[in-house]
Amino acid sequence: MPAQLNRAVIGREFAPYAVTVERGKIKEFARAIGDPNPFYLDDRVGAASEWGDIIAPPTFATTFRDDSLDYNAFLRELGTDISRVLHGEQEFELHRPLQPGRTYLCRAKVVDVYEKTGKSGPMAFVVRETIITDAENEIVGTMRGVTVVRL
Amino acid sequence: MKYGAVYVEDVNIGDTLPPLSKGPVQQIQLTRYAGASGDFNPIHQDDAFAKAAGMGGVFAHGMLSMGFVAQSVTDWVGIGRVRRISVRFAALVRLGDVITCHGRVTAKRAAQGRDDPQVDLDLWAENQKGEKVVTGRATVSLPSRG
Repeated sequence: MPAQLNRAVIGREFAPYAVTVERGKIKEFARAIGDPNPFYLDDRVGAASEWGDIIAPPTFATTFRDDSLDYNAFLRELGTDISRVLHGEQEFELHRPLQPGRTYLCRAKVVDVYEKTGKSGPMAFVVRETIITDAENEIVGTMRGVTVVRL
Repeated sequence: MKYGAVYVEDVNIGDTLPPLSKGPVQQIQLTRYAGASGDFNPIHQDDAFAKAAGMGGVFAHGMLSMGFVAQSVTDWVGIGRVRRISVRFAALVRLGDVITCHGRVTAKRAAQGRDDPQVDLDLWAENQKGEKVVTGRATVSLPSRG
């Protein structure tokens, strides 16, 4: 019988963490994807746009990490390690664009852990959801990620 | 028109997005994406680590492929219009792969209240062998000519 993951983490809420979006980080992210869109890269184009500044690409919230969280420790608690995990699915719900200079609060939670056997053997799926709010406590976006663990 | 306004009146179910080709994916792009995204999993950088992990070698971050797919949407519809985008990573993207992103309009909804009309898209990306590496969906809001 293959190893099983620690389902006790279901429902775990991580400590909320704040992220301030840096202008250069948006540009670095767009360039890393190879996306030359001037609404991400050119401050003058951004200033003249309906948002009054550059905005971040739709997947930018993936950079919203909690630097104080020991991800490897979390994986150990789950019962795995970094060499066994793959990104299975990802979703972003966006109510308004993320912009430079703004500070957002992220609340991440483990929504589910389940196991099933795929064509490459037994696997576990860890579903995490992060709710992103702005300084006015309005929800600006939600991200949901599914991590696949090879058991 | 790239980055231009697409009006809901001009969009029909079954319309396809202009395909977007990205790559060939090179190690330097994965290193750059690691720095930009903060995902430093060595499985995307260190071939020996990736082989020892049983993955046959380095492969691209799924999120890089999702970035490609999102670019194919924003190239078409303009920015700030994606309300939801979701993907499944169906196969690994390897060094040297050329990824072509596709999309098709599957539904159209009229404006509701203060919200703009919305369009649903099926999205997918293929490698140079025609294998699907990403499948997904998006909802975008579009302005109306009113």
